[in-house]
Amino acid sequence: MSLLIDSVSKRFGEVQALDDVSLEIEPGEVFGFLGANGAGKTTAMRIVLDILRPDSGTVTWNGKPNTEAPRETWGYLPEERGLYAKMNVLEQLVFFARLQGVESKAAEHEVREWLERFRIPEYADRRAEQLSKGNQQKIQFIAAILHDPQVLLMDEPFSGLDPVNAALLKEAFLEMKSRGKTLIFSTHQMETVEELCESIAILDRGRVVVGGSVRDVRRSTGRQMVRLAVEGDPEMTWLGTLDGVRVTRRGQDYTEAEVAPGHDPGAVLRAALSRGCEIRHFEMADPTLEEIFIEQVGQIDTTERTLAPKAVSA
Amino acid sequence: MKGWRTLFPNAWYVAVREYRSRVRTRSFVLGTVLLAVIAFAATQLPVLVDFAAGSSQTRLEVVSTPGMPADSLSLLSETLNGQISATAHPPFVVSWLAEGDIASAQQALENGKFDALLIVDRDPASKNLTFTLRTDLASDGPVVTSIRPAVALLALDDALARAGTSIGAVQATPLTVLPVNPSAGPANSVSREVSTDLLSTGLIVLIFMAIITYGVWVAMSVAEEKGSRVMELMLNATTPLQMLAGKVIGNGAAGLTQYGIILAAVVGGLLAQGPIHKAVLGTDAGNTFGGLDPVVLAAFVILFVLGFLMYSLLYAALGSLVSRQEDVQSATSPLMMLIIAGYVMSVFGLQAIDDTWVKIASFVPFFSPYLMLARVSMGHVEAWEFGLAVLLLVISIAVALFVAARIYSAGVLLYGQRLSLRQVLSAARVSR
Repeated sequence: MSLLIDSVSKRFGEVQALDDVSLEIEPGEVFGFLGANGAGKTTAMRIVLDILRPDSGTVTWNGKPNTEAPRETWGYLPEERGLYAKMNVLEQLVFFARLQGVESKAAEHEVREWLERFRIPEYADRRAEQLSKGNQQKIQFIAAILHDPQVLLMDEPFSGLDPVNAALLKEAFLEMKSRGKTLIFSTHQMETVEELCESIAILDRGRVVVGGSVRDVRRSTGRQMVRLAVEGDPEMTWLGTLDGVRVTRRGQDYTEAEVAPGHDPGAVLRAALSRGCEIRHFEMADPTLEEIFIEQVGQIDTTERTLAPKAVSA
Repeated sequence: MKGWRTLFPNAWYVAVREYRSRVRTRSFVLGTVLLAVIAFAATQLPVLVDFAAGSSQTRLEVVSTPGMPADSLSLLSETLNGQISATAHPPFVVSWLAEGDIASAQQALENGKFDALLIVDRDPASKNLTFTLRTDLASDGPVVTSIRPAVALLALDDALARAGTSIGAVQATPLTVLPVNPSAGPANSVSREVSTDLLSTGLIVLIFMAIITYGVWVAMSVAEEKGSRVMELMLNATTPLQMLAGKVIGNGAAGLTQYGIILAAVVGGLLAQGPIHKAVLGTDAGNTFGGLDPVVLAAFVILFVLGFLMYSLLYAALGSLVSRQEDVQSATSPLMMLIIAGYVMSVFGLQAIDDTWVKIASFVPFFSPYLMLARVSMGHVEAWEFGLAVLLLVISIAVALFVAARIYSAGVLLYGQRLSLRQVLSAARVSR
């Protein structure tokens, strides 16, 4: 009983968009796709949605091929946001819901409830073109969930949102999770991933480089991070001399060092105490996803590999 | 494939949305009103022409003399007004005063009630009619010039009456027309072909205009959806086939609505022509309605709908190839060529309706809406031929639907520069 992506490959001309990708996403889980532009996140989602067909490999949901799953199984928030500009909000949301088999009365009720929740009930009768980008994004989120899908796929749902709207959307996220929905989203905002996701997959050029629960991924390197701040010695030059310790960041607030696998991070604390340092801050942690991401994917590739639609002047 | 799931109700929802958003646009409302007003005004042109002609009318009063033939008045009037007498506004208004009081007629003339007074008398010696015209119009002017042969004819008619016959009887002399070889039967009558030729051209133009105007709407609406990225949302909610069908039906219905309103304005205008004519000019207009064969009308409706469906599907497919509405025109120009080619063929085909190439082309789905209609309206077609053309058209619509859905489902996901058909076809193979 899960969403199983099995050895999926997909090529667009010169570009290998997905290369033998296998993933398992548990029902009720919040799953994050991480990757630079062109890593294959959107293609992977479109294949799950059966908007695209893979060259090889299969996708199954609860043991059945995704091609046989009813369309209303899925809710989709595309990366490229678009609404019918001249149509009013209520009318088009009801239209989208009806396409997914929701009765128009029920749909209207649901729409009004969600607009209320997003604090924009007065927008029901406005045309989409009169709304700000952030509000249009909220409208699209509503469009994606009106038919109560079991799996919600969202492509960069937080991009371009101000903090207030991002918080509202996160709330809605958690609401969907509490309703037992499976949530899959792509992003390159690592903090959001650490905050919301239980599992992730880091994609690079169509391949899964790391995957699994956030905990396991962060521990997978075997390294530990230590953050230390002591009174009167901001340089802490002695730190680099310790066995298996490498300073990664020197700052006024604290100094960060990486402890190689097999070494005890506690040794750093003991060394500081034995030197008689007055310790202001000490913290042991797994590497952040951002660190792992940069380690795995390297410098963000600046060459344009993306297949995502380029902006066009409308 | 899931793409071929049941069409309804989603195609219907899409169609309703397309229809509503189309008829609500300002361009639709303004366009419809403007075209309807123009169409109505155009039907009133004859009234305007008659009204303008009214100022050049000559009022002629005739004082007769005893013993004139009974049909003298109508003979004079017909001669003066010629063929035009059938129209509502003849150049001469002739009134007749039998053996009346010349003095009072003279009085009316002086008061300006008439432009000219024609006094008829009989020469006591020769018994021939004599004519006197009292008028201030130039004696060598066009009015007097046209009255001269008319009175001569009256005199002739009178002389004939006294001889025991009449102009009418002489004019009724029969003429038998035979071809060069008399045994080949009666000569061809071309008059029927001339009138149905006009009717066919009218109906073909109606189909041509509808396809060329409203087909582009379908392409526009596809491109708009792709340009605004709503497509991305729609792709998960519907299948390409549902979208296609909905768009064609919705935009087609909106187009037909506009067409219907304009045609209603034309019909209403023609019906109102009589009353308006009477109100403005006080005379009746000639009947403008020709008979329309119900068989031709039925064939027109069938070919109109099927032809529109097929071309709209192709328009939708081509519309999916562009990312911006501005590019629709150039992307659809090959289709435009095909449509115009069909129209031009039908124009020439009407002149050679029994030629083999016309017969063959009238079965080719791209051209049959025009050419089969031409053949039907000319009455040069067998029932099975019409049935075959319709069948071929229906089959090609099914094929067009399949191909268009393929191109469409691939095309809507590809953005950027205008796509070549080759790119799309290779993409169509890998998409659902």
